[in-house]
Amino acid sequence: MDTPLVTSPVKSSASQSFFAGYQPPLGAFDELLAGDKPRDHWQSFAHEINQLGTAEFERRWQHAQREMSQNGLAYTSWNETQQRARPWDLDSVPLLIDAADWENVASGLRQRAKLLEAILQDIYGPQELMKSGLLPPDTIFRHPEFFRALHRQTVPGGRYLHLYSADLGRSPDGRWWVLADRTEAPSGSGFALENRLILSRMLPRVFHRCNVQRLASYFVALKEAVNEVTPQTNNPRVVVLSQGNSSPNYFEDAYLARYLGFTLVEAEDLAVRNQRVMLKTLGGLLQVDVIIRRPNSGACDSLELDGRQSGGIPGLLQASRAGNVAILNPLGSGIIESPIFMAYLPKLCQEVLGEKLALPGLATWWCGEPGRLDDVLARLDQLVIKRAFRARGKEYALMQKLKMADRETLVQMLKENPEQFVAQEMVHRSTLPVREEGKLIPAHIALRAFAVTNASGCHIMPGGLVRVSGKAEPLEISLMAGEKSKDAWILGTTPVSNVTLLKRVDQPLRLKRTGGELPSRVAENLYWLGRNLERADVSARLLRTTITRLTSETALDDVTELVPLLRTLAELGQIETGYAVKEIRQQLPAIESTLLPQIFDHQDPFSLRSIITDIFRITARTRDRVSGDSWRILQRMDKGFSPPGVGSWDMADCLSLLDDLIINLAALGGMVSESMTRTQVYHFLDMGRRIERAYQEVRLLHCCLISFQGEIGPLLEAILEVFDSSMTYRSRYLADLQLGAVLDLVITDDTNPRSVAWQVLELEKHVKRLPREALPATISAEERLTTRLTYLIRMIEISALTEEGVLDEDGELSQLLLELAEILPKLSDTISHRYLIHAGPQMRMAEVR
Amino acid sequence: MQYRITHTTKFQYADPAPVCSNLVHLAPRHLPWQKVLEFRLLVHPDPKQISSRPDYFGNQVSYFAIAHAHRGVTISAHSHIEVQAIEPPIASPPWERVVREIQAPRPRWNLDTYQYLFPSRHVPLLAELREYALASFLEGRPIGEAVADLMHRIHQDFNYDPTATLVHTPLSEAFEKRAGVCQDFAHVGIGCLRALGIPARYVSGYLRTNPPPGKPRLVGADASHAWFAAYCGQELGWVDFDPTNDLLLSIDHITSGWGRDYDDVCPVQGLVIGGGQHVMSVSVDVEPLEIPAEP
Repeated sequence: MDTPLVTSPVKSSASQSFFAGYQPPLGAFDELLAGDKPRDHWQSFAHEINQLGTAEFERRWQHAQREMSQNGLAYTSWNETQQRARPWDLDSVPLLIDAADWENVASGLRQRAKLLEAILQDIYGPQELMKSGLLPPDTIFRHPEFFRALHRQTVPGGRYLHLYSADLGRSPDGRWWVLADRTEAPSGSGFALENRLILSRMLPRVFHRCNVQRLASYFVALKEAVNEVTPQTNNPRVVVLSQGNSSPNYFEDAYLARYLGFTLVEAEDLAVRNQRVMLKTLGGLLQVDVIIRRPNSGACDSLELDGRQSGGIPGLLQASRAGNVAILNPLGSGIIESPIFMAYLPKLCQEVLGEKLALPGLATWWCGEPGRLDDVLARLDQLVIKRAFRARGKEYALMQKLKMADRETLVQMLKENPEQFVAQEMVHRSTLPVREEGKLIPAHIALRAFAVTNASGCHIMPGGLVRVSGKAEPLEISLMAGEKSKDAWILGTTPVSNVTLLKRVDQPLRLKRTGGELPSRVAENLYWLGRNLERADVSARLLRTTITRLTSETALDDVTELVPLLRTLAELGQIETGYAVKEIRQQLPAIESTLLPQIFDHQDPFSLRSIITDIFRITARTRDRVSGDSWRILQRMDKGFSPPGVGSWDMADCLSLLDDLIINLAALGGMVSESMTRTQVYHFLDMGRRIERAYQEVRLLHCCLISFQGEIGPLLEAILEVFDSSMTYRSRYLADLQLGAVLDLVITDDTNPRSVAWQVLELEKHVKRLPREALPATISAEERLTTRLTYLIRMIEISALTEEGVLDEDGELSQLLLELAEILPKLSDTISHRYLIHAGPQMRMAEVR
Repeated sequence: MQYRITHTTKFQYADPAPVCSNLVHLAPRHLPWQKVLEFRLLVHPDPKQISSRPDYFGNQVSYFAIAHAHRGVTISAHSHIEVQAIEPPIASPPWERVVREIQAPRPRWNLDTYQYLFPSRHVPLLAELREYALASFLEGRPIGEAVADLMHRIHQDFNYDPTATLVHTPLSEAFEKRAGVCQDFAHVGIGCLRALGIPARYVSGYLRTNPPPGKPRLVGADASHAWFAAYCGQELGWVDFDPTNDLLLSIDHITSGWGRDYDDVCPVQGLVIGGGQHVMSVSVDVEPLEIPAEP
């Protein structure tokens, strides 16, 4: 046998390896190749990857992608056009930067952070830079986000830039440039972390062999920064103030909050009382010590800042002035993100720090300077025109408008309002391969770097978020606009030791058992999650039972239970009411052609598909409360429950989808029950479930049974199916279907978790555990209602349910079911009002004149 | 002349509200011609804490919040003021010189003046205002004379009509209608001056409620009043003009504060959570304390 030729990995050149076929374009710096060979600092990566082999790399990558999709890694929870989360597009090839190169970048960033800090101190303080003319006064007076109320504020630790980040690009000569500064609420560090976790898990050995520096040191420094500004040191309450799940950064906010052990909140969760910021929880108001701020400054306090913006937390600024809360970054830190400042940084660095700007920024000119516009117009083709004052959050659309403008329009805009624009030199950014369908394609990159400053200094994250675009054009402003992202590996020369975020042993954790700090908004979402889970389960089972009957061998007119089943479906909003009549056979084609689409109708709020969408949406809002496994089940359920895209499909297809759905719902319910601690989180979720199930059951029983005439056996069989109690029934009574025994099992049997009695008794227990003021003088309204429910259930005499006429319209059973169906919504309202709805809308009062 | 001023603002809600927070500009300013002998701010129900500080423009601003269920708020400001008559400016430089002076690079920028050149929320840059203003700003005309003429024309051309505009009616609309109240007239004046490159600011204050015997009651005396001030060059500084009454600052004017426009010195603003519909009432009383000499 011949020995196969093996190429030694040491000798393998680019053309034979993982990087085979990669051809960087001319005119840009290529991060990987110098000439046709990998750069020195890529050698050991190339070696390890080649050892691994392309096939194995591909296999691992497939696995990593599956993991990403299941984790719901996303920029937005809701993509407007598709109503689906936008998938996070991570590329498998990291950016490698050698230690010496990075140290230059890092020290440049430290200097820049120091400079920007000094400028902010001056803007909100003596304003000497403006008085002396080093910075045109227009930079603040024309700035839509220069809020005078912030002038002379005191900021935590005397610092504005606790957090700072910068977008960097490398020009063809190999130098790094600052493309933009981010100071308001720099985002992306959570994505950098998530990217890192995925890649290091995918390539553990490569990662280890390359001595990649860990990101954790950055997060440790961040935690220290937070601890330093805490007004009280003992057990501070730290919140991440997010813009909510409609914001592009919601995933990251939730992720960081969980990673750092902080509470994720939205503005409506916070209120100011006695110049202190309080978190509205089920247990009452709890003081917040530190806010890690995500929304724009102007949106944070509608009383003192931008009165046009509603929402926010009225009084927040006053609480901050009073020193009762530390906001990171302090309000107003974002002003300096505006490109107009870049025009003056080189000069200011000399004047303020007495140093040359170490890390150059893109050359920038403010068109509002006397005479500047003419220079800009003369070189317009070589420059990029940007808005001088950045409007965070709206910038993308404004940029697009500028990009779309033809030359003539642009010139006109510049001439009309030169002071609103800057002109910037373009940088031809460096390239790095992205891997697409096994091929390596060159793409241009930008690196977002992160800095956190605390008492011990300015710490640069050894890594960052690499953004990739096919074009060499100026980088889009928003993170969202990037096409792909990459992990950035800063290589060390020696093996890297572990840094962990876990507390040190000398700081014992205070043991806790309670969950009273649950924000009311989260409790509300969990409550509705519970309700929707049960609504979906009952609807799915009812649909399955009905469709099974429709597809049975028996002549349809003989399927006596079909009419009440269809009537119930109509009552529950699953089908249109018109079908709830006799003569099924004639209507069958109509039922088949409309029932199936109705199940999957996104437009119809009552359709099963809409309920599933609601479940998904609500869970997305409370991502930080849902375990990874539950989330995976949810993803599977959401993706799985849709009709086949093309071709004909029928009731049989639908049945199998319903089967899957019911199993997924059961898995999700089980996961939730088994993994949640029995704190308020669980109580609210389960209360939602019990109320909904009991309510659906009593309505279903009333609808199916009351006034039913005919052979009742098959109907009872169907009811047992929907109640998932057929098996129990058979084990007790074999095939002998009797009304009384069925009613006992589904209504009064408190050992059957599907019975109405079970739901009611569980509700009573939950209600007793709700947080309560210290001395309850009387029993609460919700306790009174659950007591009434229990009483009704307990007082049922089973013997009475077997008598003649039990199904009469005005009979005892009918009255009982109606009363239950009336109390349950009342109970829901009472709980909502007391615990879930904390405040009415904000109203503005103003003296007219 | 001494005045005792009582300014009471009452909000009543349809339903009890759990919390409201407020920001008020009610304290009169200390000025070379105006002495604040006493100022008290009373709030009912008791907010327990009222925090006051100077704002960016040097006015006193107070913050308070009521954090328990309440059905309304009464805010009343009591001031005791002494005002001296000020001499009207006689000679002033040509207006173009003031424009050049403010724009020309100097060793140091006077930010406090310069900031009043820029458009603000209620006073955007409007071409039609520049057009309107130019009729008063003839070439080489002394700035005092030109602004006085502008004030006079606003007084002539505009109809005092409280039903014509609301607090947030855009300036362009008030200008188009040639109608409004003191706030609109002040904004028109400010917009005209800024359009020409002259810093202009919004002044809020009060007028004596009951005129001295034999004199007509001034317009705007039953509520807080507003006018504008123009920057008239380094020697003269700021000069106040009241277009509603076609008057320079008189002994009947009490200055409470100034800013870029109404928004910066809004007397009372607040946010209430819940409470349903609310109604507001304001009363202002400006009583002279010295009995004027018989004529």
